[in-house]
Amino acid sequence: MTKAPNRDGDDAWIDGMLDDLARTPVPETPDDLKARVMEEAYAMLPAPGGQLAKAPWWRQIVEGIGGWMAVGGLVAAAATGFVVGLGGLDSVGVSTPWTMTYETYYDSPGSLDAFGWDMEEG
Amino acid sequence: MPLDTDPQTDDADLLAAYARGDAGAARLLTVRLTPRAFGQAMRMLGDSGEAEDVAQEAMMRLWRVAPEWRHGEAKVTTWLFRVVANLCTDRLRKRGRGAMPLDVVAEPEDPTPSVEIRMQDEARRDALRIALAALPERQRVAVTMRHFEGAANPEIAEALGISTEAVESLTARGKRALAAALKGQAAALGYEEG
Repeated sequence: MTKAPNRDGDDAWIDGMLDDLARTPVPETPDDLKARVMEEAYAMLPAPGGQLAKAPWWRQIVEGIGGWMAVGGLVAAAATGFVVGLGGLDSVGVSTPWTMTYETYYDSPGSLDAFGWDMEEG
Repeated sequence: MPLDTDPQTDDADLLAAYARGDAGAARLLTVRLTPRAFGQAMRMLGDSGEAEDVAQEAMMRLWRVAPEWRHGEAKVTTWLFRVVANLCTDRLRKRGRGAMPLDVVAEPEDPTPSVEIRMQDEARRDALRIALAALPERQRVAVTMRHFEGAANPEIAEALGISTEAVESLTARGKRALAAALKGQAAALGYEEG
């Protein structure tokens, strides 16, 4: 009997099994298998003179940018910029619906529609 | 079947020629790569019928991918190795689910030593095949490329898109996982318990 490993990390046992499997004699490739493969190759053969297929436009853009990781980074940066931009509107004096109090809204030009004036003037 | 009459031409160039409709390239690639795929599948599956099916399927995928093949991105043989390995793994996992434990397989009546030894050898190989199929893909590819293809670390690193140092660690982890999976069956496989 061959010795099995008696401690962790003993690779010799596994190496021996892997090498034994690698040395296993392999029969000759059957001719009918090669014939079937060839038949499929001819059936799927592109037209003579055919060009290598170009990648679709969206994949060319993605690859041009630098792959899906780069696209993810770009989207994250754009989203962050958008949120930061919205948050900063108030600090430069631009009122936005989510930073206005009721009074601010009431006095803002946006609230002065004809119907409002009519109501106030009676 | 004609022999490879143009061994100098790179596989990727032949694949590009195939994509342009060159029937001669189809013939050369078939002669070069089918035995390679069949041999690998045979080692991993141990069954010639299944190995033929896997080799044929892998080659069909190669013809299908030819028009989109990008020169310089990967070696054709490495791509094929991974496809064959994955197809074999699928079959081994299905086979593993229906397999009986080694210790409940009936012993043959009055076996001659040579038959017994042969059966034990085959049982070891089958157990190893199933254990290989259970490894994560990258560990399996690293271990089998090294042992079945004799690939060096830089070649494995290129195939997996990792550093050469990472290959060592990946291979070591793969072997530790194989040892852990097979250790419980050591006696049934004809090994002395350590």
